[in-house]
Order: sequence, then C-alpha cells, then structure tokens
Amino acid sequence: MTCHKTEYLITEYLEVDLTARQRAILEQHLQECAHCRQELAAAQQTQARLRTWQDEPVPQWNRIPESLLKVEKPRKLESFFNWQLAPLAVSFLLAVAVMMNVKITNTPDGIAVAFGGEAGVSESLVLEQLARFEAQQRQEQEERMQALTVRMEERQDAANAQLIESVVSQFGESTSRSLEQVVAYFEEQRQQDLQVLQSSYQQLADSDYQTIRSVQQLATYVQYQAESR
Amino acid sequence: MKQDEALISDALRGSARAWEALVRRHETRVYNFSLRLMGNQTDAFDLMQEVFLGVFRNLHRFRGESLFTTWMFRIAHNKAVDMNRRRRLFSEHDLYAEQDADDDADPLDQLTADLPLQDPAAILSEERSNRDINRYLGALSWDQRLIVELKVFQSHTFDEIAELQDIPANTAKTRFYTALKKLKELMELEHDMS
Repeated sequence: MTCHKTEYLITEYLEVDLTARQRAILEQHLQECAHCRQELAAAQQTQARLRTWQDEPVPQWNRIPESLLKVEKPRKLESFFNWQLAPLAVSFLLAVAVMMNVKITNTPDGIAVAFGGEAGVSESLVLEQLARFEAQQRQEQEERMQALTVRMEERQDAANAQLIESVVSQFGESTSRSLEQVVAYFEEQRQQDLQVLQSSYQQLADSDYQTIRSVQQLATYVQYQAESR
Repeated sequence: MKQDEALISDALRGSARAWEALVRRHETRVYNFSLRLMGNQTDAFDLMQEVFLGVFRNLHRFRGESLFTTWMFRIAHNKAVDMNRRRRLFSEHDLYAEQDADDDADPLDQLTADLPLQDPAAILSEERSNRDINRYLGALSWDQRLIVELKVFQSHTFDEIAELQDIPANTAKTRFYTALKKLKELMELEHDMS
C-alpha cells in the first residue's frame, strides 16, 4: 500500500515552524493513512538516530589570527615566546658573538667582554665552550625525550586502569561483548598514542637537531677563522 | 545574543581576548558541523579554521540583522561547499594528500583526552556512535549530506535551506526525503546484519 501524499506529509511534518492548523490537517491524514503513519515513524526514528551524535571536543588550535596579535600587544611573555624558536635565537646570538669576535674572559677583577679586540682568549676556548654547549643540548634532548615517554606511559596506564574499572562495574563479569570493547579500546588507544608519540619525538628531534647543527657549523667557522690567521 | 554582540564589538576594536572568547563559544558547534560534513578530523579541522578566518575577515560586515550564529553558519555553509569542490577537484587529479592539522602545536596538547581523563568505555561507545553516523552520512551524496546537516542538526526550515542553497523549496524537500529514505535503509541493513 502506498500513498502519493507521503513525501509531502513527512517533509511538512518535520518542519520546525508548523502552525497548529497545518499540524491538525496532517494529523487528520495520519489517522486515515496507515502507510504515512508507518513512514513518518520510520523518518522520525532515523532523525532520532542521527541526533544521538555526541559533540566531539575541538583539538588544540591557534584561535587568534596574526593580524589581531599585531594590534594587541601580548600580556604575558609566554604568549609570544615560542620554545621552538629557541634554537634559532641561540644560533643567532652565537653567530653575532663570533662575527663580532666577542671575547669573554674571567679575570681576577671580574668578567671582561671585548669586541673584536684581544682579550687573551684563544679560539680553542671558544671551541671548548661550543663543545660544552653541544653536549648540554644533547643531554637536554635526552631528558626531554625521557620526560615525554614517562608522560605517555602515565597517560596510558591511567586510561587502561579506568577502562578496566568501568568495564568491571558495568558488566560485573567478563562477557564477550565487554572483552571486545576492551580490545577495541586498547587497539584504538595504542594507535593514537603511537602516532602522537612518533610526532612528538620527531618535533623534539627536529628542534634539537637544528640547535646542534648550528653549533657544529659555528665551531667549524671558528676553527676556520683560527686557521686562516 | 547580547554576549556575542559585546564580544564582536570588542573584537572589532582589536581585542584578541574578545575574539578568542567568541571563537570558544562557537567552535564546538562549527567543528562538529565540519566533522559530519567532511567525514574526517583533518578536513573538519581545516574547514573549522577556514570558517573562523572567514568570520574574522568579514566581522565588520556583520550588522546584527540576524543572529550571529545564523550569519556564521552561512559562512560555514559556503566554506564547506568550496572545500568540497576543491576536494573533489584534487581527488579527480589524484593530488589530494592529507596534511597535519597544525605542525607548530605540541602534539601532546592535541590529545583532548589528556586532561582530564574521561570514562574510556563512554568515549569508545560515543566514538563508535559518531563513527556509525558518519558512515551513514558518508553513503549519501554531498548535496544530500548537506541538506541532512542543515535540516536535522541545524534545524533550518526548508525555506531557509532553499534560500541558502539557491534552490526551490520543493527541491530541498525531495532531496531531504530521498536522503532520509536512504539513511533508513542503511540503518535497517546494518541492524539486520548485527
């Protein structure tokens, strides 16, 4: 059994701003037509299923356009200091120091800074300082990597514990359905964590590699300057 | 909404804080709109950013004649149509490649589950439910998906949809009815199989 009014009826019925009179006319037809009743119920059910959508949280992002940042001066230091620019800043300072032939000496009277002049500091001392800086950077990189791993592990442990707790409380005992859920969740969690960890490692490695490479380039430059004299 | 108007006025005077507050008020709705239309997080994220950039650039044109959300979703609709057109063009030429959402951000910060930890079982069932819905929506044509989004999730009338999409209201109704029937079949099929 079909009815040529079904499409009209359903689309009208689902309108948000129906008047009472319009609704009464539709209700009248529904009372007389089983096909339309059935189709309307199915359409409402479909809509209801779609509306079970749960809003997902927005990932972290930079909400303020650059043009607006230029208008309003940053209130906090941390809001404009990007730690990823640190290697660049260090490299720049070191480059300026080398280019201007800055000499820093620790004399009994205090620290002496000389620009372009002789201050009794040999290139080997600069090289030594650079090597120390490089070693320090490497160590910091390792520490950051370790901290990242620890943080990921803690997060995973907490999520796992909470999952087990919630599954146990929800199902009482292990049913095949709950086990399936656990496995699926673990799989998903593992995949997500792996991706994030990989990306974090890469970001840290890129940043530190950049610093170490800059230091090595400076060391080569200093050595070259020393040899050419 | 009064609060929107105050924030818009401050943002237009150059307040980054007001702009950020305005974005935070509406970003979840825009992001989830994008997620249902684009079907994946990367494209949804890109679309959301494009929408807010569009809103920012045109904020001085907002006259307050309609609700801010109505005006914003008009921009969102147009951006979604543009993005879909671009995506289709790229996929036709096999040039489309996924990009990271934000290369500069700390990846751990993108883990929304990082703080605070929610009930994992609830997250899983919620994600599954959303994924199922996205799968159903993904089986529709773009036009059908868009009309379902506007009608079911944004609660527009057919006249509003007709005006937004520049189509007759009857075309919008037929398109929506066809989409609903297809969704019903998909849901029944899945239900029978399970």
